[in-house]
Amino acid sequence: MNQNDSMGTENRYWTGMEDLHETKEFMDSAKNEFNSDLTVDEFVSGAGEANLSSGRRDFLKFLGFSVGAATLAACETPVVRAIPYVNKPEEVTPGMPTYYASTFHDGFDYGSILVKTREGRPIYIKGNRDHGHGSVNARMIGSVLSLYDGTRLQGPMKGSSPISWDEADQGLKDALTAANASGSEVVILTEPIASPSTEAAVGELKAAYPQAVITHVPYSPISFEAIGKAYRNVVGASGMPYFDFAGAKVVVSVAADFMTDFPLSAQYTTAYGSRRKPEGDWMSKHYQFESIMSLAGSNADVRKAIKPSEEGLVLASILNHITGQGSTNAMSEMTKGAAEALKGARGASLVVAGNNDIHCQNITAQINSALGNIGKTVRTDKTVRLANGDSTAFNALVDRMNKEGVAVMLMHGVNPSYDSPRAVEFNTGLAKVGASFSFSSHADETASKCSFILPNHHALESWNDHNVITGHYALSQPTIQPLYNTRQYQETVLKAAGNETSYYEFIKSNWNGMADMQSTYATDEFWNYALHNGSVDLSMSSSSSIEGSEEGSSEFDLSASLSAVKSMSDNAGGIEVVLYSKAGAGTGVHSTNPWMQELPDPITKVCWDNYITMSPAQAAEMGFNLYMREELPAHTATVSVNGVDLTLPVVPVPGQKIGTIGIALGYGRGANGENIGNAAFQTKEYGGYDLDEAGNKKPIGGNAYPLVLMNAGMPSYRLTGATVTGTGETYPIASTQTHHTIMDRESVLKETTWSNYKNGDVESYNKPHTLKVHEGGEIIDKPVSEVDLWDPHPVEGIGHWWGLSIDLSSCLGCGACITACHTENNVPVVGKDEVRRSRDMHWLRIDRYFTSDMTKERAMEEDLGTIEMYSEMEVPSENPSVVHMPMMCQHCNHAPCETVCPVAATTHSNEGLNQMTYNRCIGTRYCANNCPYKVRRFNWFNYKAYAKFSEVNPSQDMMGRMVLNPDVTVRSRGVMEKCSMCMQRIQAGKLDAKLKGVAVPDGSFTTACSEACPNDCITFGDLNDVNSKVHQKRNDKRAYLALEEVGTRPSINYMVKVRNREENLA
Amino acid sequence: MFKEAAIRQPLILGQKSYGDITSDVINPIENKAPKGWYIAITISSIIALWGIGCILYLIGTGIGVWGLNKTVGWAWDITNFVWWVGIGHAGTLISAVLLLFRQRWRMAINRSAEAMTIFAVMMAALFPGIHMGRIWLAYFVFPLPNQFGSLWVNFNSPLLWDVFAISTYFTVSLVFWYIGLIPDFATIRDRMKTPMAKKIYGFLSFGWSGKAKHWTRFEEVSLVLAGIATPLVFSVHSIVSMDFATSVIPGWHTTIFPPYFVSGAVFSGFAMVQTLMLIMRKTMKLENYVTIKHIEYMNIVIIVTGSIVGVAYITELFMSWYSGVEYESYAFINRFSGPYAWAYWAMMTCNVISPQLFWFKKLRTSLGFTFFMSIIVNIGMWFERFVIIVTSLHRDYVPSSWTWFHPTFVDIGVFIGTIGIFFTLFLLFARFFPVLALNELKSILKVSGEEYKSKH
Repeated sequence: MNQNDSMGTENRYWTGMEDLHETKEFMDSAKNEFNSDLTVDEFVSGAGEANLSSGRRDFLKFLGFSVGAATLAACETPVVRAIPYVNKPEEVTPGMPTYYASTFHDGFDYGSILVKTREGRPIYIKGNRDHGHGSVNARMIGSVLSLYDGTRLQGPMKGSSPISWDEADQGLKDALTAANASGSEVVILTEPIASPSTEAAVGELKAAYPQAVITHVPYSPISFEAIGKAYRNVVGASGMPYFDFAGAKVVVSVAADFMTDFPLSAQYTTAYGSRRKPEGDWMSKHYQFESIMSLAGSNADVRKAIKPSEEGLVLASILNHITGQGSTNAMSEMTKGAAEALKGARGASLVVAGNNDIHCQNITAQINSALGNIGKTVRTDKTVRLANGDSTAFNALVDRMNKEGVAVMLMHGVNPSYDSPRAVEFNTGLAKVGASFSFSSHADETASKCSFILPNHHALESWNDHNVITGHYALSQPTIQPLYNTRQYQETVLKAAGNETSYYEFIKSNWNGMADMQSTYATDEFWNYALHNGSVDLSMSSSSSIEGSEEGSSEFDLSASLSAVKSMSDNAGGIEVVLYSKAGAGTGVHSTNPWMQELPDPITKVCWDNYITMSPAQAAEMGFNLYMREELPAHTATVSVNGVDLTLPVVPVPGQKIGTIGIALGYGRGANGENIGNAAFQTKEYGGYDLDEAGNKKPIGGNAYPLVLMNAGMPSYRLTGATVTGTGETYPIASTQTHHTIMDRESVLKETTWSNYKNGDVESYNKPHTLKVHEGGEIIDKPVSEVDLWDPHPVEGIGHWWGLSIDLSSCLGCGACITACHTENNVPVVGKDEVRRSRDMHWLRIDRYFTSDMTKERAMEEDLGTIEMYSEMEVPSENPSVVHMPMMCQHCNHAPCETVCPVAATTHSNEGLNQMTYNRCIGTRYCANNCPYKVRRFNWFNYKAYAKFSEVNPSQDMMGRMVLNPDVTVRSRGVMEKCSMCMQRIQAGKLDAKLKGVAVPDGSFTTACSEACPNDCITFGDLNDVNSKVHQKRNDKRAYLALEEVGTRPSINYMVKVRNREENLA
Repeated sequence: MFKEAAIRQPLILGQKSYGDITSDVINPIENKAPKGWYIAITISSIIALWGIGCILYLIGTGIGVWGLNKTVGWAWDITNFVWWVGIGHAGTLISAVLLLFRQRWRMAINRSAEAMTIFAVMMAALFPGIHMGRIWLAYFVFPLPNQFGSLWVNFNSPLLWDVFAISTYFTVSLVFWYIGLIPDFATIRDRMKTPMAKKIYGFLSFGWSGKAKHWTRFEEVSLVLAGIATPLVFSVHSIVSMDFATSVIPGWHTTIFPPYFVSGAVFSGFAMVQTLMLIMRKTMKLENYVTIKHIEYMNIVIIVTGSIVGVAYITELFMSWYSGVEYESYAFINRFSGPYAWAYWAMMTCNVISPQLFWFKKLRTSLGFTFFMSIIVNIGMWFERFVIIVTSLHRDYVPSSWTWFHPTFVDIGVFIGTIGIFFTLFLLFARFFPVLALNELKSILKVSGEEYKSKH
């Protein structure tokens, strides 16, 4: 616009008169119109100060920079205790899990496990399916949390003051030396030890103190020692035989809950379940005679309710049916069917009894022997060393302690002050022991009374070996550096014996010299092989064939046992009591673990308590509440038996025999406020512990161990002559399921009989749902899947389509999957008060349905009104059939949740998954309302910080937080969450396949629930892969979609439950 | 010789002059408030503060302080939301629909009814906000540009439609109400003596000077806004009903919902107008303006809408049986015979049976009975929403998840609190705003010739 650059021929335009006249001011300002920016450097250096007319932009830059910098500095997330690796350890790649083969053993449960560690932290336990006995139950999976228990002892203690390990060692040595000098008795009281190296270590101790009388007493809080004794009596076995459920066509269980409350239950569950699949040539037939509704009973084909005092009679009548021995009795009619079935399957049947009574077990062994099951389903050549503490020796020990006969006591893995029926005598005796040493990880009921506590490592920090089953040698290995200043029990013993080698070296050298290990095995390669696999099975040399000699003991007298069981029944009176253990708490070791407390009982679905189970009819008669829910508490009642009183809430359970009650053991821990775990005590509604009048923390539940009866030197868990009196008070009960029947809803749940499955057509048990539609002027029936308003998400046949298939025949309801899911997905623990409010957070739940006497057919026959029909359907039968139905997000193609979310926080992936985007969720809960399966879970509170959950939620604990899976987000308050089908595993699995350059192989990874299931009930895979197992199962004739007619098109299918019985209602 | 029309009844009684109307409406604003007003506002603001405290506790702690659970994800929150939205409907219906139908009697009640609408919609809009788990991210529901590229809201979701419906409704109602207030504010401005009040009312009246052109524009804008507001009367509650109707939950998934909700809304809205007007006409001495005629007309609307609602209830029951769908029929059997049967029968009694008493002229012209019924209807309508939401959710498809709902003190506190806030706002309105459309009222002063005759 300058005259100089325009020639006279061009038109010229002025911006104003100043331009025309080219005034000086105008020319100056025109030059500066598009001023080149002063750089920051120039500005700062003052070079441009002479020309500050352009400072505004720089000012804004400075302003922007400084505000930005200040904001960034202010927003930085504080890093709390993150320590980077200086040198990358071998085997550890951040972000990649490392698995270690190990073994779980606590004297009651046993299993070969794989421990998943991330950045050096064990965070997850799964079964080692490839080697050993790789089934796990909820207790084993949950045990990883107890490693991070913040209330574990930090180091050795003398009384209540911490000491150094040197002082502790000195204290132990001094005590042993003194005992050695005086030749007095040293007792080592332990859980039933099945560890050759631990025994060897004890042997070293004996050798080091030859003058001291060192005795080893194995002790089980819940004992099944009668089984071993009986088989020794009857067939000369060396102990409790291994029961081969997989070989049994007929299983008769007399009050044995071999799925949770039995030695080796996890392994037996798998073996039993392998014969419950209807696809095979045969399906085992399971009879159960019991008083309480146990997990095993809930899966039985035929279940009869009996009184505990009749267990012996049932066994005697079966024996009578089979061999004619003894005489018929009142139970003969009831047991006829079972006996006939047994006779039809000689050598391929199995009778087990759960009563720790020698006579009952003698008869059981006799039946198995008569049926020719010994050596076949009853493997007397394989002794199981679990729950077989020596009660006689323990009783004698308590007597000696009280007579001041014991100078030194070493206690490992036991807690008799809590779980012995003679706890009071034991405690007075313990006070009279010269020096007592506990190796407990907590200052628990027993340890807090000892003079020294030398805390043992957690099992996941320890080396150990196990020989729980004959010929099966297993190793435990540490998966983390010890968290606290603890030391392995065996190492402490070795040190006291003057042996300074580490326990690891000790095991290694011990294996080298062991008789069972043939010399060829004793190499480093063999050791590495065993360690890699976690266990080895050795073929037994001829030297061990003495087991199962078929020669009973000469002392065995069948008629004595028969008359004993008869008098047992004759002398019974009053209300009879069954003491049992629960899937979560077990013997009580796990009742301080919040995951185990939050695991619903498989039958009652109650969490965080033990209670009196009673038949609904009896509860109604006694005026107790029949249903428990948020604002409807249970009535409490006092049970008095053998001079012991126990007050607990009453929970009616269908299937319980009238006149009997059941009480779970393992509760009421920490009654004197012992520091046994944060989650071990009752908490208040707004957080903090609930204290009693004296200011002590209230334990969870009541301790039923004092009720255990010492019967002929052995603990008996069956009591008679009890009285139950209502206290008139109420107590809130937290249950995850408050409605108990299926209401005859066939599109949720389908079941049939085996004969119908084998012979009948699919229509008769798995009728596809059709809709009547008009087409071409006619009304036709169309399958639901073909009636659709919308196009489905294009996942079928394109890329991956992840899905699950759940076999209702295989689901036994044990709850291992619930805990695995809890662990894998960082599901918060919410505590009793929240569970009571129906706010449990489980992504995966197991719905348990009881059958009702009322059905639609019956209502039709009886011409009953609909209202009446439905109200009667709510009432379970007196002895109902039970169905366990795992329920999680169904990953619907037409997901009702996806359409209603206003912000599209839940969407469909192109791999068929229904995904939650937590960051996007604003928490309207509309999705949860619209979910027909009710599987969505809302974060009602900030579980990881709100005071209400400080005691129960491990993620509020410095240590407990270490168990969190780093692959899974910890959800914030106010967002919805639900099953992601273990999204993180799918991603990892796909990456792995990509790295290998292969298509994702079927079965190369799976979800936590399907991995944990002892019975392969849940199958995961790619539905688009026609060769995948899950694809085949989805197209099986038993496959159906839950609530198919709603049109949700789930990616998860169920398979019709098949029972091995003639009629649906047996 | 002349013939006079016999039919036309006066709409304003008591020989009022134009000046009287102005004085009657503005006197309460000019003079000191009566003692009763102070008592009322103290009580209602205490309740409001308690409610606000509960809301802050809710936002500070989490939705868990309510009694909701894994199965019942909505209960009192959405019940209150729908209830308040419904109440709001009467105001718009009175001012917009009756304006279009040239029902001039509406002029005595439309101002208060519109104010009620505004406050009720404010209370309603509170609930979708505070019921969110993360209210601080509430702006996610608006289709705002963001740094994630094409991250849109979900236009399929009825909850999103609610956002648009409610915000549109609130905006239109507010503008409509305010336009109507402008000439009245100008009148107040002119009568005010203190400079502060003069300034405030002067600002609020937007420079109104009463020119003929102003009045023409005023009339035109009112008509246009009435035209816009009329479809909103029907759309808002239809859309609210779609929150339920488009779901898959038995008892929610019902095509009858839109008309059923709209008539229910008008029903409850008129009841609330009755409650407020009956108190106001007494305390502010407006008996000559809000006459028995008005009360009776409104009661007739209540009979009509109440009967529509009753038909809807029975249709629902019939359809659940006729459909033959197991879940559908159980949902309704459970409603009237299950654990929440008491709520169902409370709803039936309050909404269907009791309004039928208005067929008796004596009852529908009785002030005391009308007041009592207006309360009953609103209780019934609250239960209707509670029944729809809670009884459908608490027992749906999978029996294992069936639960109950128990309100906590926070549920109750928030609900009662919104009533407190509502009445506080309404009392402030009654004190500082012209409660009748005084300038419009002047246009109906001479609808009958009685006054003229008496003076000549």
